[in-house]
Amino acid sequence: MNSKQTINTKPTSFFDKNYQTPEFITTNIKKTVQNRRHFLKAAAGMGALTSLPSFNVTAKTQASLTNLLSTLLKKDPWLTLNSTLNHLLPSSPTGPSAIDIKAIDYLYQVMTVQPTELEEKDFILKGVGWLNGYAQSEKSADFSHLIFSDKEELLRGISQSKAGQNWLNTLLGYIFQAMLSPPSYGGNPQGIGWQWLDHQAGFPLPEKGQRYFELPTRARISLISHVSYRNMSQQEGSHKKSPQGTRKA
Amino acid sequence: MTKSNDYDICIIGSGAGASPIAHQLAKAGAKVLVLEKGPWLTEKEFFKDELTISVHDAYNPKLSDEQHVIEEEYLDENNKPFWQDEKTSDSGWSWWNGNVVGGSSNFMSGYFHRLKPIDFRLKSEFGAIKNANIEDWPISYDELEPYYAKVEREVGVSGRVVKHPHQEPRSTDFPYPPIAELPVSSWIDKAAKDIGYHAIPVPRAILSQPAMGRRSCEYSGYCSSYGCSSGAKGSGRAALLNNAVASGNCTITANAKVYKIASDAEGKITAVHYYNKIGRKKKVTAKIYVVACQAVETSRLLLASTGKKFPHGLANNNGQVGKNLLFSGGGTGQGDFNYADLSPQKVNELKVVGPFINRALQDWYQISDKSFKGANKQGQAKGGTIDFLFHQNPISRARGTQWGVTKKGNDKLLWGEDLKQRLKTEFTSYKTLRFEVFNDWLPNDDCFVSLDNNVTDQWGDPVAKVRIGYHNHDLDVGNYLSAKAEKLLDALGAKNISSSVSGAPSTNLMAGGCRFGNNPQKSVLNKNCQAHEVDNLYVTDGSFMPTGGSVPYTFTIYANAFRVADKIKAHWLTLPS
Repeated sequence: MNSKQTINTKPTSFFDKNYQTPEFITTNIKKTVQNRRHFLKAAAGMGALTSLPSFNVTAKTQASLTNLLSTLLKKDPWLTLNSTLNHLLPSSPTGPSAIDIKAIDYLYQVMTVQPTELEEKDFILKGVGWLNGYAQSEKSADFSHLIFSDKEELLRGISQSKAGQNWLNTLLGYIFQAMLSPPSYGGNPQGIGWQWLDHQAGFPLPEKGQRYFELPTRARISLISHVSYRNMSQQEGSHKKSPQGTRKA
Repeated sequence: MTKSNDYDICIIGSGAGASPIAHQLAKAGAKVLVLEKGPWLTEKEFFKDELTISVHDAYNPKLSDEQHVIEEEYLDENNKPFWQDEKTSDSGWSWWNGNVVGGSSNFMSGYFHRLKPIDFRLKSEFGAIKNANIEDWPISYDELEPYYAKVEREVGVSGRVVKHPHQEPRSTDFPYPPIAELPVSSWIDKAAKDIGYHAIPVPRAILSQPAMGRRSCEYSGYCSSYGCSSGAKGSGRAALLNNAVASGNCTITANAKVYKIASDAEGKITAVHYYNKIGRKKKVTAKIYVVACQAVETSRLLLASTGKKFPHGLANNNGQVGKNLLFSGGGTGQGDFNYADLSPQKVNELKVVGPFINRALQDWYQISDKSFKGANKQGQAKGGTIDFLFHQNPISRARGTQWGVTKKGNDKLLWGEDLKQRLKTEFTSYKTLRFEVFNDWLPNDDCFVSLDNNVTDQWGDPVAKVRIGYHNHDLDVGNYLSAKAEKLLDALGAKNISSSVSGAPSTNLMAGGCRFGNNPQKSVLNKNCQAHEVDNLYVTDGSFMPTGGSVPYTFTIYANAFRVADKIKAHWLTLPS
C-alpha cells in the first residue's frame, strides 16, 4: 500500500469507529486494577511527574491568570469547556456548583500551568470540537448557546459513545480535583468543596511555589540533551501486545 | 603505593538500611559518603497534598524515565501456565516507593512491630513446605533484640507494652508514650475483649513528644504515604541523616544515580560509578562499600556490576543474587459504619480526624488450629498480624461516584444533581474501617530479580525485571487471618464487611534477593551482611532476609542496619588509615 492509499484513522467525532481510548485513560484504568493493595503502599504510586522548565510559572503570571481567564471564557475552547463543566455540576441548593469550586480555573491550570501530558490536553481540546460539531448537526448552534435540556440531551448522546464517555469522565475527574485539592491549584476556594463534604483537610497545605510540579527536580539525562538512539529503537521494538491468556488469580 | 580513597565508607542509597550506617559510622569518626538517586527534600517540602502524593506520584521517577518490567503468570487456553512480562510504563504500575533522600522511610506508616523469636527459625519450627525455599536465619532474635531497643531510642518509637499471647521478649520499655488515639480505638478494645481477642497498641515510629531536635506529631490526619512536615515520623532522613551530616563527617550527594560497582581481576572493588544530576559520569572510591537501594534495586545494581571475577554480577558467582525476593503476603478488608445506625455521640466519635487507631491483632501470629488447612497437617503454621486504619484521600474517595448503572446493568455516567447527591452520600453518610493483613511471603523459585534484556532507563542501563510468583500457602494464611479480622468488624457492628486476599505483591514491602546465611553456596551475604565473595562490600537494606516475618519490614531493616553498623565499624577500625 502506498502512502496515498493510507486511510486516515484519526477520529473526527465522538461517534467515529476509529476512536481508540487514549493511553492516559487506559493506563489509569490499569493502575486502579493493579493497585488493589494500593493502601498498603507507604508511597502511593499513581501518575507521573513531568517537570519541564517551560511549566515554571512565576507568581506574577499566576496572579494574572484570573484576569486572563475572564477574557478567554468568551471564546472557545474555554467557552465550551466552561459551559460543559457548569452543566456537569450545576448550581443547586444541594451543594456548590462548578462555578463555586472554580472548576474552569482549575482546568485552565491543568491545561496551561500543570505539566499535563500533551495527549490528554489534546483529547480535551478535540472533544470541544466534536461536541460543537454534534451540537451544530443536532441543534444548529454551538453547545454553549443551548438551553439546559438541549445540553443534557447532547451530553447524554455523546456519553453513549466510548469517546464521549471518556471525554466526559475526564472532565468529571477534574471536577473532583477542583473540588477537593488544595486551593493553590486554582479550585476549591477557601476549601468550599471540603466544607460541603465534611472533609477535614490536612496541614500544611502547599501554596503556589510548593505544588507537585514545583518541587526540587530530580536527575534527568535530558538536562544535557543526551539522546540514546539505541534505547529508543529498542523500546519501540519491544512494545508487546497484551498477553493472550488469563492472569493467574 | 596505592592512591588513598576518597572516603572511608561509601553508601549507595539513603533509606532505612543506609541511614543507620551513615549515622553510626559518621559519629565514630569515619568519612562517609551517601549517594542518593533522588533529590534532597526537607520538612519544608512535605505537604498534605493528595495531588503530589497520590495522583501525580511526585516523589518518584516518571515511568518513561525509569521503570521496571514485571513478569506475571497467566494461563493459556489449556490452563497451562506461562510467564508474560510487561513494562510498568505500559501498565502504569509504579514500583518506586519514594526516590528521595531518606527513601521510602519518609512515607512509611511507621507500624513498628518487632519480629518474634519464631521468625528466625521458621524451617526448624514448622518444617519445609514443598516448593518454598524456607531457611532459618543465621542469627537469633536475641542477637537482634538490643538493636530493636536501639532503634526505639535513636529513631524514636512511641508505644505501650501490654501482655498478650505473642508478646516478644523486650529488654526495655518504649522510650516515648503512645501517640494520641481515636475514640474508635476503644471500640476495638471492647469488641475484641467481647469475642476473646487481644487488641494490642501498635508501636509507631512517630514521636509523641518533641525530642532529638525534632517536633512531635501534629496530628494532621494525613500520615501514611505522606511526608512528615513536623519531623515526628522517624524517617532515615529526619532521625539519622541530619545528625550524621551535623557530625561533620557525612556528605550526602543527591541526584546521584549509581550504575556500576567496578571490581578488578581479584574481585576487589575499585570504584563506584554514578551519573550526577545532569547525567555526567562520576566515580568515587572508599575503603568499605555499602549497598542499600531497596531490595529490587540492590539486586539490579549487583547484577549490573559485572567484572572479570564476577561475569554474572558482583558477589554472584553462586547465582543467588536476586533470588528469593520477598513481599508481604496477606490482603486487605473493610467494613462500613452507617451514621444512620449510630447514636449522635458515636457518629461524632467516628468523625474525629487527627489521632491514630493504633490497634493490631497478633493472636494468630502462630496458628495452632486443626481446622486450618495449611501446608502443615497438624494445623500448625506461621500466621501474621492484622492492623486497622482509616483512609483520608478525598479525591480518591470521590472517584467512582460518577458511575451509575442503567436498567440493563450497563455502566452509566452520572452528573448534575445525581452526581451531587452521590458525592454527598459518599462523604457524609458512613465511614469505612479498614484492616491490613501481613503474613509471610514464602520464598520460592518464581519470585526473583533479573536484568531485562530490552528495556533500559533514561541513562541507558538495563532495568530490573521482577518475576512475582507466590506460594498458595500465603493465600491460605491470609484468608485465615482475614476471616478473624472480619469477625472483629462484625462484633463492632460494621456492615458491608469484605476482604480481599491475593498473590499480588505489596510493592512497598519488599525484601530478600541477597540472603544472608552461613552457606556461601546458598546465600549472598554472611551473617554480618558482608558479601561472601567481596570483603569490603556490605548490603544493609531488607535484601538480607531469608524469610520476612509477618510485620512490615522497616523496623527490622533499621535494627539489622544498626547491628551491621557495629560490624562495619569494627571492620573499618582494622583497616590502615
